[in-house]
Amino acid sequence: MTQHRGTSTGPPDEYLEAEIQRALAEDPSIAEQGITVVRRETGLVLYGEVESSHRREEILRRVADRFPTLPVTSEIGVVRTEAPTQIEQLP
Amino acid sequence: MVIRIAAVGDVHLDEDVVGRFRPALEELSDCADVLLLAGDLTRHGTEAEARCVAQEFGGLDVPVITVLGNHDHQCNQVPQVVKVLEDVGITVLEGNGVVLECTGGRLGVAGVKGFGGGFAGRCASDFGEPEMKAFVHTTTESADRLAEALLSLDCDLLVALTHYAPVPDTLAGEPLEIYPFLGAYQLGQAIDSAPTALAVHGHAHRGSSRGTTPGGVRVRNVAHPVIKQAYSVFHLGDHLDQGEVSRLSASGT
Repeated sequence: MTQHRGTSTGPPDEYLEAEIQRALAEDPSIAEQGITVVRRETGLVLYGEVESSHRREEILRRVADRFPTLPVTSEIGVVRTEAPTQIEQLP
Repeated sequence: MVIRIAAVGDVHLDEDVVGRFRPALEELSDCADVLLLAGDLTRHGTEAEARCVAQEFGGLDVPVITVLGNHDHQCNQVPQVVKVLEDVGITVLEGNGVVLECTGGRLGVAGVKGFGGGFAGRCASDFGEPEMKAFVHTTTESADRLAEALLSLDCDLLVALTHYAPVPDTLAGEPLEIYPFLGAYQLGQAIDSAPTALAVHGHAHRGSSRGTTPGGVRVRNVAHPVIKQAYSVFHLGDHLDQGEVSRLSASGT
């Protein structure tokens, strides 16, 4: 993968989003394919659901390590694991 | 006749998740005859992660049947992963099926991981570079194995279990651009080639829960981030005469 150049202007937004998206999937400590990365004027917003709070923290830590100048907002939730309260009947 | 099926996919187990599903799983036999796991049981497909899956989903009081997902292939340890799961009694399907004797009748489940390729009119073709041909061949071979497995089962109720999606309906919510990486119409075609009652898949974390094949088979995306609970439960049987529209019931009876 082409690395982030770390210049003051940085890469175009689309390349940056692609790099973050791939890093989230390909970094062995993350391996998440279901996180959406949105670039806003205020910085990055990450959306998605993960299986533990540890994984959410790890995602934010790795993104901050790799892109230290970018403000990151997390909208990542931890999926609930309660038993269902409804069943679906199919004829 | 009522057969009760619980299902979830994309649980992505590792040490940090062990124990989260177990309280809900302990109640499983109250509402289901079987638990189907729709692949992506692990994060990277390591033997160690498979042991976490075995700990969480092994030793339940209902049979557990699974297919593997793309994450379960990441570290090229599929034989080790399968062995760990089978050692705790989990049935791992890939191009084959199993018939269970349930109180409501014989439930047949046929499964494959499946693959991508896209959907009718917007799909990859078996043409051009060897890499593209290999991609499409992987899809068609998987779909052919699913059709063969479905047609081989002698049962009262037939269910198809895949990781990749057989229809685009249950991908609603995912970016359109990645649909070809999430499923393939050939899987739907295989499901429609047999008297399938229900198709269950995962993989599409941002998708939606309900869809139908062109042949009218109900499809459910049970990826954990979609269902947002430990598992979904479906009751299937011919005692119901409410027509062709599925509905939700407030009770487990």
